[in-house]
Amino acid sequence: MREVTIVGCGMTRFARSLPGSLMDMASEASLKAIEDAGAGDRDFDAVYFASMASGEFAHQTAAATALVDELGLIPAPAHRIENGPASGASAIREAYIGITSGLYDVVLVTGAEKMSTVPVPVATDLISTMTHHEAEYIHGITLPALAAMLTRLYMERGWLTEDQLAAVAVKNHENGSKNPYAQLAHKKATIEGVKDSVMVADPLRLYHVCPLSDGAASLVLCTSEKAREFSGKPVRIVGLGQATDTHAVQERDDPAVLKSVQLASSQAFKMAGLKPKDIDVVEVHDAFEILEIVESEDAGFFPKGKGGKAAEEGKTALHGELPINPSGGLKSRGHALGATGIAQAVELVWQLRGEARERQVADAKNAYCLNFGGFGDNSVVHILRRMG
Amino acid sequence: MSEKERKMIGFKCKGCSRINYPKRARCLTCKGMEFEEVKLGEECELVTYTQVYNPPAGYKGDPPLMIGIVKFPNGVLAMGQLAIDHPKDLKLGAKLRPVWGMLREIGGKEVFGFKFELAKKEQTSKLK
Repeated sequence: MREVTIVGCGMTRFARSLPGSLMDMASEASLKAIEDAGAGDRDFDAVYFASMASGEFAHQTAAATALVDELGLIPAPAHRIENGPASGASAIREAYIGITSGLYDVVLVTGAEKMSTVPVPVATDLISTMTHHEAEYIHGITLPALAAMLTRLYMERGWLTEDQLAAVAVKNHENGSKNPYAQLAHKKATIEGVKDSVMVADPLRLYHVCPLSDGAASLVLCTSEKAREFSGKPVRIVGLGQATDTHAVQERDDPAVLKSVQLASSQAFKMAGLKPKDIDVVEVHDAFEILEIVESEDAGFFPKGKGGKAAEEGKTALHGELPINPSGGLKSRGHALGATGIAQAVELVWQLRGEARERQVADAKNAYCLNFGGFGDNSVVHILRRMG
Repeated sequence: MSEKERKMIGFKCKGCSRINYPKRARCLTCKGMEFEEVKLGEECELVTYTQVYNPPAGYKGDPPLMIGIVKFPNGVLAMGQLAIDHPKDLKLGAKLRPVWGMLREIGGKEVFGFKFELAKKEQTSKLK
């Protein structure tokens, strides 16, 4: 089978509100990735545009067509990929499939979301539409509410303390403060500050929850045979995994287990021929800090119920034994829905190339990335490896 | 149908007996397509809950919005609003019962469904 290499990456800063339109942000990130790849005025065989809700937030549908037009890439085939907050990773996966099939050699993958266009309760409602319509959405369920109930289950079982949960937020803010692209780079956090922050959905507080964000991120992917035609240091996609779970959270055998993360991760590790202990740096989907803990367990990095303890002991810190979310994660970098999965991959490309500056993880060779759709109902994993 | 006559219904697969809730086209366990409607019951138990201080647009009550997961005697779990006045003393395992009511507005229209209240009203007064 053909192999796929990432030869270029770029992103906008994430912020509560960025100037310009959805397409302005998407083209800024795309042009950075094209420049990074040294792709100049080269044509692309296809363009994938990831956005969860470009129609709802930005009144723009068929947005992939808009992007190829904006970038002067007509007549490249263009698709918008929507898979909730995992749209970004799904777009990478589709590009991978397009290249390994032999149909495409060089593909641009860009994700963007502009969430600042609507008031917060409307954004909360739009995001909630991804939940099960009859069993969850009509009852007023929100994503923070689902995360709150998961947190309570963890605490009831003795798997998590308030201090451990706060430690994840403190760590991610510390990492984000070293990331010029992070939305909350200017904000650090302390254990006491997290525990005193305003309640969002008890026991979840403001500092346990990611912000709403505008932002865009982009990658240039090609068949590995052509990687030498580009200037970017090559990073190969060596493992893919994706799995779904019941749409309604309460229908799962154990709502404290993210089975889709377990399945997607084991697929990706098997394909890469690696084990969790072989991974040097990780980006996971911490829309809520409880998720970083549960994901780190169900991905196989820590035993079930021990992820919080690992975070508290500093194992997941930038210079710990397994750095998680060196970018600051969704908590500090921000969570611009369709852009997030691609921004995670951009961070890991920088880490593997040794270009992450102040937040560089030493000698990172293998990286694991988890983008999460719905509330654990659609998980997409990629494993990346530094070449050369 | 009067409000009191409305009952929460599960969908028992005629192939494997799994009670599917919510309804789906094919059984999650065996892909069977024939279901028998079964009442979930008048009493259920609180499994977990939260109070949402930032409810979505369309929710018309004052925050916090209380949401919980309940378990029926047949093992079926359901999510819904908790119509409970004094949540501070609410304990996991509390006995609840489903009641029909207005949940929220979607697209400007009122949407109705089951919420959960304390099974014994005197529990409410004790909590006060």
